[in-house]
Amino acid sequence: MSVPSPSVATAAARAVDVTKVYGQGDTAVHALAGVSVDFRRGQYAAIMGPSGSGKSTLLHCLAGLDRVSGGQVFLGDDEISAMSEKELTLVRRDKIGFVFQAYNLVPTLTGLENIGLPLALAGRTPDPEWLDRILTTVNLADRVGHRPNELSGGQQQRVAVARALVSRPEVIFADEPTGNLDSRSGAEILGFMRDAVRELGQTIVMVTHDPVAASYADRVVFLADGKIVDELAGPTVDSVMDRMRRLGD
Amino acid sequence: MWRVTLRGLVAKKFRLALSSLSIALGVAFMAGTFVLTDTLGGVFDGLFTNTTQGVDAVVRSKLPYEPTGGQVSRDQLRPPVPESLVDVVRDVDGVARAEGSLLGYALVIGSDGEALQGQAPTFGLPWYPRSDTVNQSSEIVKGRAPRAPDEVAFDIRTFEDGGFRIGGPARVSFQTVPPREFRVVGAFLFGGSKDGPVGATLSAFTPTTAQEVMNRVGQWDLIEVRAADGVSQTELRDNLRAALRADGLAADYESITGQQLADEQADELKSNLSIFNTFLLVFALVALFVGAFVIYNTFSITVAQRIREIGLLRALGATGRQVNRAVVGEALVVGILSSVIGILLGIGLVPLLQGLLAGFGIDLPDGPLVIASRTIVVSFLVGTVVTVVSSLAPARRASRVAPITALRDQALDPAANRRRYLWGLAFWVVGAVILLVGLFGGASGGDSAMLIGAGAFFAFIGVAMLSPLLAGPAARMLTWPARRRGRVTARLASENAERNPRRTASTASALMIGLTLVSMVAVLAASLKGSFTETIRGQSTADFVLSPKGFFPFSPAAAERIQEELPDATVVEYRIGVIQIGNDTVNVLGASPDFTEITKIGLKPGARRDAFARGGLYVEAPEARARNLRVGDTVDVRFPDGPGQLTVQGIYAKELPPPFDPPFVLSLADWDRFPTAEDLSVSILKGPDTTTREARRVVERVAAEVGGIDADDLASFIDRQIAQFDQLLNLVYVLLMLAVVIALVGIVNTLALSVYERTREIGLLRAVGMTRRQLRRMVRGEALIVSAFGALLGLVIGVVFGFLIVQSVSSEGIEFALPVGQLVVFVVLAVLAGLVAGIPPARRAGRLDVLRAITSE
Repeated sequence: MSVPSPSVATAAARAVDVTKVYGQGDTAVHALAGVSVDFRRGQYAAIMGPSGSGKSTLLHCLAGLDRVSGGQVFLGDDEISAMSEKELTLVRRDKIGFVFQAYNLVPTLTGLENIGLPLALAGRTPDPEWLDRILTTVNLADRVGHRPNELSGGQQQRVAVARALVSRPEVIFADEPTGNLDSRSGAEILGFMRDAVRELGQTIVMVTHDPVAASYADRVVFLADGKIVDELAGPTVDSVMDRMRRLGD
Repeated sequence: MWRVTLRGLVAKKFRLALSSLSIALGVAFMAGTFVLTDTLGGVFDGLFTNTTQGVDAVVRSKLPYEPTGGQVSRDQLRPPVPESLVDVVRDVDGVARAEGSLLGYALVIGSDGEALQGQAPTFGLPWYPRSDTVNQSSEIVKGRAPRAPDEVAFDIRTFEDGGFRIGGPARVSFQTVPPREFRVVGAFLFGGSKDGPVGATLSAFTPTTAQEVMNRVGQWDLIEVRAADGVSQTELRDNLRAALRADGLAADYESITGQQLADEQADELKSNLSIFNTFLLVFALVALFVGAFVIYNTFSITVAQRIREIGLLRALGATGRQVNRAVVGEALVVGILSSVIGILLGIGLVPLLQGLLAGFGIDLPDGPLVIASRTIVVSFLVGTVVTVVSSLAPARRASRVAPITALRDQALDPAANRRRYLWGLAFWVVGAVILLVGLFGGASGGDSAMLIGAGAFFAFIGVAMLSPLLAGPAARMLTWPARRRGRVTARLASENAERNPRRTASTASALMIGLTLVSMVAVLAASLKGSFTETIRGQSTADFVLSPKGFFPFSPAAAERIQEELPDATVVEYRIGVIQIGNDTVNVLGASPDFTEITKIGLKPGARRDAFARGGLYVEAPEARARNLRVGDTVDVRFPDGPGQLTVQGIYAKELPPPFDPPFVLSLADWDRFPTAEDLSVSILKGPDTTTREARRVVERVAAEVGGIDADDLASFIDRQIAQFDQLLNLVYVLLMLAVVIALVGIVNTLALSVYERTREIGLLRAVGMTRRQLRRMVRGEALIVSAFGALLGLVIGVVFGFLIVQSVSSEGIEFALPVGQLVVFVVLAVLAGLVAGIPPARRAGRLDVLRAITSE
């Protein structure tokens, strides 16, 4: 891993005055209305907010899945908001990990192949020791030979987490990773993600609307109407619910 | 439900356009074929109405018997009438005027020394120098009519093509007299149009000269009669018939009206036209069959994709029947739409088709397009029915979707089950049995072709139903090299092809059909060519061979002159004629008595060569066995001019190559019983005292002087024959291309639908770092798998079909040959075309917006 320069030593992902506008003129919708936020390396951050607050849009812009209308987005030192489509693709492949709410896996590939997919696309093979460690961490070693339709929802999400980890990305972006899971499987996934940050030194940015999920994070950023309205360090379920209730008012 | 159907259609314009295209192309070809042949039929009708202009009735000899096959025409069999008959006819009641007429061989040598020989015949005819002549089909448009024995007039096109001028010289070559110099005195318009004689050249001479130069001294081919005022054509004909009966001539001569003659002539040409029509229609049907696969596929995929929507409709109370009708209704709309487009396209296609055929040396006369109601009705019905029938199976599957499906996540094709494979096997077995019966069951030509076609049809469906079993292994095998190098795109392409083996297989099956036919034709052609070459090499020792430049035989003057100039050479002439043996009408090969000195036919011991020089038959061994004939036996026969007897002078063992393959060889000593004497081929073996160079010089010079003849040594003769055959073969390949193109449309369609279906998955792949290039490569990889699978399957089946067909005619001396290089080229081209077909869906996939793809529900 590259050594980060001192100026941004702690920021793995950074948004500077980011705006995102859908449509034009009278019908324009300002999904993000000037968001500036840093996500520190080695931190587990959650983004919360009511529906339509722009939390998913922010995640997509940070992850290079969507283009910003204004402002800048950095991944480490690289300004991804200035990159070409091709460069963005390579950044996603090599420096970013993804965990989506559902449909995370390619149905024709086995769990193990899904995990290795970003590396395979880059023409590389996973480091066996690292792979082993990930598989042990997510407790999947005996199931990875199966195809996604033979795995439970929780197992599928664990494969997704393993895939996000395998290329040692600078940041993992997770979009409602537990949204489709029962609470027990959800807790498992959240636990693995926290372990990945604690034990493997990963950086994770997760969008969620679930206070329980948010309570696993080190820090919660609250969004409303396309703006950052609040922030909470060391959240608990109660403190998150409390803030959310106030946002709703 | 109709509203649901229509809305669904409009929403998917791309899919609609592609699936319509696959049927519309086949319908277009069918409609185009009909319009083309109807147009030609119209041209011929008009032509013969014009050529019998002014002729109210004719008197001619009765046809001794009907000729067989296409090698000999009726006119070549009909004996001439004596000149004296004209006087008899002239005295009949109601006759205003009667004139003898004839149409003989007269080859015009252009002013540049080149014979004006195309693929049409070259005719000479008599010209009566009066304005009230019976036949009014021609009028002088330049100069005047021929009045002296050394004068000639040409039809205006020949006049222009030959570069002649009024008062200038012209040389014309004949069959029984040496070429002659004439003075060109005029040019005439025949049948009212410049292209009047359908490409034939016409030379007009004074009546007496015409008789002299075209072997009709004291004779005519027929007598043309004009009715007196107030006498109808039928009255005139009836009077003529009565008179012939009264004079005891009715046994030999007959009379028909001018209209009947025109119809008869048009019908004869049209019967050839119907063969041509059938030939083209076969390709149209193949195209439609392939189109049916594409439709079946499209509907199967869309039913699978909409399975949740269908489940929802069912849950909301739609009956299975309503769902079924909605799908079939959609097919009906597609069918009607594509048929209409196809018919319009087909009419527009006609000039293209004419151009294509002209490019392959088949020049067709032009005329106003004839769009018969039959064309519209048949094309429309066939297009619509094919489309609807192709949708029946997917519709049935749709009607069986359970309401609960609406709530399920996965929407994949139901896996092919064992019952389906059993059905496929049954289809295949039935097809194979019909095919084998057709090939080896001894049915006659037409029936056997029908059986082979039907057998192939069932076998194709059977293979298509069974082929999903092979799709997976094929996909893995084809991508093995790329996967071994660690290409994840190859792995994904292979998995995609395998996940719906039925879809992959039926898309490939459409291509398979085209490739099967192409490789079958290639195998047959290679076998025929190889056997032809081998037979000629093995049987003929000729130094030189003369063959006609067009389709029509040439003057025997060539052989005669070569013999005169090379007295020590052996010069053998071959002709084709028709006689009756007992009650059978058979083709006979007429050959110079000493032909066995050049052509080895395996004459058995005991043959009487000396006697054969005075006349008689050689008989092929199996034919002799079947008729229980031995050397020395005499058989009763009928020649065109009456009954006769022929003695069997020998039995031979070897089969001769077509067109020299009748099982009887008749000594040319007996050829005076035939009304015409034209050579189909001449073989020359030079004498020991002549050098090859000298001989070649003589042969080439005479061939050029007589005109219309290609002179070759044996090797170049074989090359020339094969080149002609190849031209026809290339036409067949081009026509089969249509089926391949439709199959490619099917590949585009299937992949585009698959890409659409996998939008979310593609979005995921892009999100985790698949580049656009990799994505395109993945989709193209799938196209490659489908096309290579189809092409290889087609190759194997085509070679097997070809092998079986060759086996079924192995008694004709044809041996199986495998044109490996050519087949490899075909497969490579098909796979490349498949790759190209993969480009549009690949681009479509590449353009998908990543975010939309992963967030869209």
